[in-house]
Amino acid sequence: MDSQKIRYLKNIAAKCRRKVVRMVEASGAGHLGGALSCLDIVTALYFYFMNIDPKNPKMPERDRFILSAGHKCMAQYAALAEKGFFPEDILDTYGSLHSKIPGHPDMHKLPGVEANTGALGHGLSIATGMALGLKMDKMDSKVYVIMGDGELPEGSNWEAAAAAAHYGLDNLIVFVDNNGLQISGKTAEVMNMEPIADRFKAFGWETEDIDGNNMEEIIDTIESMLRKKGKPKAIIAHTIKGKGISFTENNYKYHYWKPNSEELQKAICELDAAIKEETK
Amino acid sequence: MNRIMKDPRKTFGSAVFNAAKNNDDIVVLSADSGGSSGLGEFKNTYPNRYFEFGIMEQGVVGIASGLATTGKIPVFCAIAPFVTSRPYEMFRNDIGYMRQNVKIVGRNGGISYSDLGATHHSLEDFAIIRMIPDVVVLSPQDPGEIENAVKTMLEYNGPVYMRIGNQSIPELFERRPFEIGKGNLLKDGKDVAIISTGTLTANVLDAADVLAEKGYDPMVIGMPTINPIDEELIEFAARKTGRIVTVEEHYIPGGLGTIVSEVCSRTFPVHVKMLGVPKTYATSGPYNGILEFYGLDVKGIVNSVIDFINK
Repeated sequence: MDSQKIRYLKNIAAKCRRKVVRMVEASGAGHLGGALSCLDIVTALYFYFMNIDPKNPKMPERDRFILSAGHKCMAQYAALAEKGFFPEDILDTYGSLHSKIPGHPDMHKLPGVEANTGALGHGLSIATGMALGLKMDKMDSKVYVIMGDGELPEGSNWEAAAAAAHYGLDNLIVFVDNNGLQISGKTAEVMNMEPIADRFKAFGWETEDIDGNNMEEIIDTIESMLRKKGKPKAIIAHTIKGKGISFTENNYKYHYWKPNSEELQKAICELDAAIKEETK
Repeated sequence: MNRIMKDPRKTFGSAVFNAAKNNDDIVVLSADSGGSSGLGEFKNTYPNRYFEFGIMEQGVVGIASGLATTGKIPVFCAIAPFVTSRPYEMFRNDIGYMRQNVKIVGRNGGISYSDLGATHHSLEDFAIIRMIPDVVVLSPQDPGEIENAVKTMLEYNGPVYMRIGNQSIPELFERRPFEIGKGNLLKDGKDVAIISTGTLTANVLDAADVLAEKGYDPMVIGMPTINPIDEELIEFAARKTGRIVTVEEHYIPGGLGTIVSEVCSRTFPVHVKMLGVPKTYATSGPYNGILEFYGLDVKGIVNSVIDFINK
């Protein structure tokens, strides 16, 4: 992977983080922490791996992206806007009446959204069905999923995990956004699902633990995972909740952020500086 | 009356099998439930379109949604409470809200899994599934209607829930195409309108004969679609007879009786007597014994109707 490409992706991720804060600014509040923790993965998928076309969002051979942790939707909206799926000014409607970008994604409102997620523990089943259907049709499309670590206790996930392995769905690539925090505190204390990789492995999955905010590692891992055949893949992405804004990092209180103007300005300054840094 | 009896599950399964001959997109999902849903022939003939998942109904409903996004038409049949109450949120979000072309079929509906008790009864499925926007709810009444309802359901593009029973049921009607949202005037009359759905329409038709012998003239309406309901036909019945009795294998609150009352209250208000199972964990035992206990056998229906007319 050449360093120029990595710089390009990091710059996109910085711009997407700035867009997330733009949405929070428009609405006055939003699920910030998780959107920022998964943003580097979202960027790698939308701007490096996925076969998608903003002009033809329903093309049958497209790759699919399912945000099982639907509350992280600002990350997806930022990427879709940056990719050109919809005009950027829609970002300023976040939280407003009849917005096309509600607090959880709605496939019937916005091109590029594949499923109506938000209730946790649904995305993996839907993605499993998609991966199965694509295999039946002998399509080469991949189904990428981002789950939150906080939704792992939902039993329905493990129903889907069993089914995906049973049917050998190697076109299914799941990221667990393992930022270690959820609304009530540390995920391991709320309900310990460690060791996450071992659990997936026991269900018959390929697994890998990575630094989920390290672009090189994300890219390398997806590339090596795509070469492996026969099993669904779970990438346990160790991430930092609230990544990219100094005072929101690793603080569960920023799971849902209702900023005052001082906080907002500070966040905007930091993110604008990061964009400049990455474009140098 | 001597009628030809048929197994509703086998009838359903062979109707799916027949439709699948001409439509490669039809796939069957099983939660260890396909064989008992009459889908064995489908499995043997189309093994690549038959997916076994074991007992995981929540997972299967979500998987069905995902399959439908790729153009498949998934049919998932299992015991009614396990495809309605148990995976309710998956039905609501993954099928309803996502508006996917998935067909969920609850078999052994109502109290037809009689002696297995309340865990296996399904007496609230109409009420809860009709609350999910854009989901069609079907409750065909005889084998011919099951066959044609399956055909129509698979041709219709959108989410459908269909309820069928367990015990063999009699052929009641001449074969006719099934139209979603349409009820049928089975017998005209002026003293009272009896509106029923599902398997109990057989008892209602027999009850109507007994009532006629006793000098009454009941109208009988069969209502094989619960949602969307045939409002026009209900209003017609209300205007003509001035009183309605509803009969269903469902809790009295929330089902056909409630829906008929809703329609009457905004079109032509009349008294509605609702026959069904009171909202309790129903008793167990032989199917006919339970029906009799709740007054849903022929005699019970006749007595309730006469009481209501003479009130």
